[in-house]
Amino acid sequence: MKKVFFSIIAVLFFISAVLVSYRIVVLDYPLFPTAPGDSWEISISSRLSKSPANHALAVVGLPIQRTGLTILSESYQSGTLNVGVSREGPNRLAIFSGRSSEDSEFIGYRAFLISLPQKKSAQKSPLTLAPYPDAFGKAEQELAMRLVGQWRNLPSGTRLKAVGGTIRGEWRDAPPVESDLKAWSEVQQKHGRVVSLLGLLRAAGLHARGIEGLRLVRSMRNEPLRLVEAWSGSRWVRLRPETGEELKIPGSLLVLARGGARAIEAREGTVSDTRWNVSELTLSNWRRHFERILRSDNLLDRWSFFHLPREFQDTFRILLLVPIGALLIGILRNIVGFPTFGVFMPVLMALAFRSTGVIYGLAIFAGMMGIGYFLRNALDNMRLLLVPRLSVMLTAVISALTILALVGNKIGLREFMAVGLLPFVILTMVIERFFIMVEESGIRTAMQTALGSAAVAVISYGILHFEELQLTFFIYPELLFGIAAFQLLLGRYTGYRLSELIRFKSFRGAS
Amino acid sequence: MIWKIARELREAGVLGMNRRNGDYIMGYNPRSKFPLVDDKVLTGKIAMEFDVPMPPILSVLETHSQIERFEERLDGTREFVIKPARGAGGSGIILVTDWNENGFIKPSGELVPRLELYHHISNTLSGIFSLAGLPDQAIVQSLVHPDPVFSAVSFKGVPDIRIVAFRGVPVMAMTRLPTRASDGKANLHRGAIGAGIGIADGITRNAVLKSAPITHHPDSGNPVDGIQVPYWEKMLLTAARSYDMTGMGYTGVDQVIDRDRGPVVLELNARPGLAVQIANRVGLWGRLKRVEQAPSQIFSSAETRVVWARETFRR
Repeated sequence: MKKVFFSIIAVLFFISAVLVSYRIVVLDYPLFPTAPGDSWEISISSRLSKSPANHALAVVGLPIQRTGLTILSESYQSGTLNVGVSREGPNRLAIFSGRSSEDSEFIGYRAFLISLPQKKSAQKSPLTLAPYPDAFGKAEQELAMRLVGQWRNLPSGTRLKAVGGTIRGEWRDAPPVESDLKAWSEVQQKHGRVVSLLGLLRAAGLHARGIEGLRLVRSMRNEPLRLVEAWSGSRWVRLRPETGEELKIPGSLLVLARGGARAIEAREGTVSDTRWNVSELTLSNWRRHFERILRSDNLLDRWSFFHLPREFQDTFRILLLVPIGALLIGILRNIVGFPTFGVFMPVLMALAFRSTGVIYGLAIFAGMMGIGYFLRNALDNMRLLLVPRLSVMLTAVISALTILALVGNKIGLREFMAVGLLPFVILTMVIERFFIMVEESGIRTAMQTALGSAAVAVISYGILHFEELQLTFFIYPELLFGIAAFQLLLGRYTGYRLSELIRFKSFRGAS
Repeated sequence: MIWKIARELREAGVLGMNRRNGDYIMGYNPRSKFPLVDDKVLTGKIAMEFDVPMPPILSVLETHSQIERFEERLDGTREFVIKPARGAGGSGIILVTDWNENGFIKPSGELVPRLELYHHISNTLSGIFSLAGLPDQAIVQSLVHPDPVFSAVSFKGVPDIRIVAFRGVPVMAMTRLPTRASDGKANLHRGAIGAGIGIADGITRNAVLKSAPITHHPDSGNPVDGIQVPYWEKMLLTAARSYDMTGMGYTGVDQVIDRDRGPVVLELNARPGLAVQIANRVGLWGRLKRVEQAPSQIFSSAETRVVWARETFRR
């Protein structure tokens, strides 16, 4: 019997541990579900002034959802302008346009997103070599060819470094002739560093594209970076157009525009006062996994609580913790020796405190007990039969709660109106038990028990309200098996209660 | 600190509530037998078969309609006790020494109006005093006249003697003496005196009042220890036989000594409390373990069990 009992407990712990480990190791669940994750809020705001033709049109490059980047929500601010979102080549753009009565309008975009470190396999090699930048004429193409064409046989990684070096004036072999160098610096002046670097990379036979994006880093003045991305044969390398060096930055880059496009540009009218803002949110891992789990095909993920409608999720978050409350009552009663009214009454009180708050909840609880006690005392002289007497008490309790709600409404105390959710039947039974206990064991014992119940209710409330615990059990409901194992163990606890150490203190040393 | 105290209690053989419930009540008291102990009507029926003396039950009220003609059921009996069949902790008991058309007279001389007693019976039938709050029966039992042996050390009320029996072996005993503070009730929580009784000799010892040792009764000032309980052998045998009668391995047998009939069983208790240890200053667990290790032949009859107990539990 004892063997079977402990085997059952071991099995329960085992199931619990295996399922949790499986989720963490295989399904990549967070070990600490409530730790803050890589969640960001980005916002762009700018003043768009209309053109002389009384028309304004601006495009803003938007982040694109991909593996490792989840956009939770987006919002736009456009004043009286129209706003639309469309794809244009590799970009996703918000297009603000219209005729405005004002000289200028504020336009804005705000997004909440989650960025995960990207897995290497996500990078794919481009298939065809892109053409020269549009701005490059025939002569400029030939110039670029003369500068870097001799490296076309080098491995692409080395070639990339060599081309990058030219920006800093480092030439791999001998420097080119003086006239070409002079012509090249004119090209750089004319087209800007990004376009000229792109042209040079193209001449070296490398895939390259211009990008513009925001760095996802905390607390820094943030401006979008214009970079050149080039394919090194195994991955995309980001080069600073100013130095030709590879950009190595902490955190990831949120790309807003690719190809020739800019992160924000006015096509009619002008943009000014552009402000960029990036801030890390203390959004929890939990939320991130909520998003991920919803997209997962795994059996455990598909049967997760996250698939329940939102309004029911909250109920289950609480419900999953009630067994812990019950375990706690078991511990307090059987190990500590705490007196409580009934077995689960304190947990039910704690559930009621959720809507009233603990202070008001306790006050209402105490007030109702007081009123109830005097009423019950008065009823005692009327010699009512048991069930009708309890019904009268129930009616009185509900009447008092109703009056409380109406008073709460008048004086604007929401907590008083929330009392409708108090377990009034439980309250009625507690008043009856309290009365009987006062009669039989004296007011002292009854008060002790009432205080004990209230204390356990407050502790249970603390557990039910412990958000980290709620989320942990919500993500790993199999932890309930572990709780059940503890409950079983407690059921076979035959040692002394703490209160008995005091009760039997006269036996100390009397062996 | 805590572990040290717990170890000392373990060494002293003190029985805790959890072990009592988990190992002894659940281990030795089969659920199916509980009604025999909890329901005094059933207890009274089998007590006759097993030669266990109980005050006769004069009448059993089962429905509210029987209350109206309550006096007719008394059949001329002037004094009686009315109690719930499945009462707990002595609640709901009313003693009546006489009655007339106005009402019923309690031992204190106080008059309980007729309707009030009817209401009390009605409450009893509704289950207000019953263990589980379920509908109950009210029994009318003949009144016990306590033997004067304890009259010097009890204030009003009826002192009773509890013997804890384990597997039919009386293991520990105590008497509960009412005081003014306990309002004449033999209830230790209320302030009645608990005094241990030696299993071997039937002499009271180690009296406690609310867990504190005392030597004299607070109301009469008479010494509480050293009183020889009469009929001790008979009371031990009754406790031992109650096991044959109910099949409950771990019970408290509550008896009262009637001045005419000798000891009678008032009730059996399937969940006897732990205070008996304090009143004896002996741990119950140690004695229960000795019974568990006792040679099997001592369990052959109530008499052999009592002999073994009186030899074993000398302290």
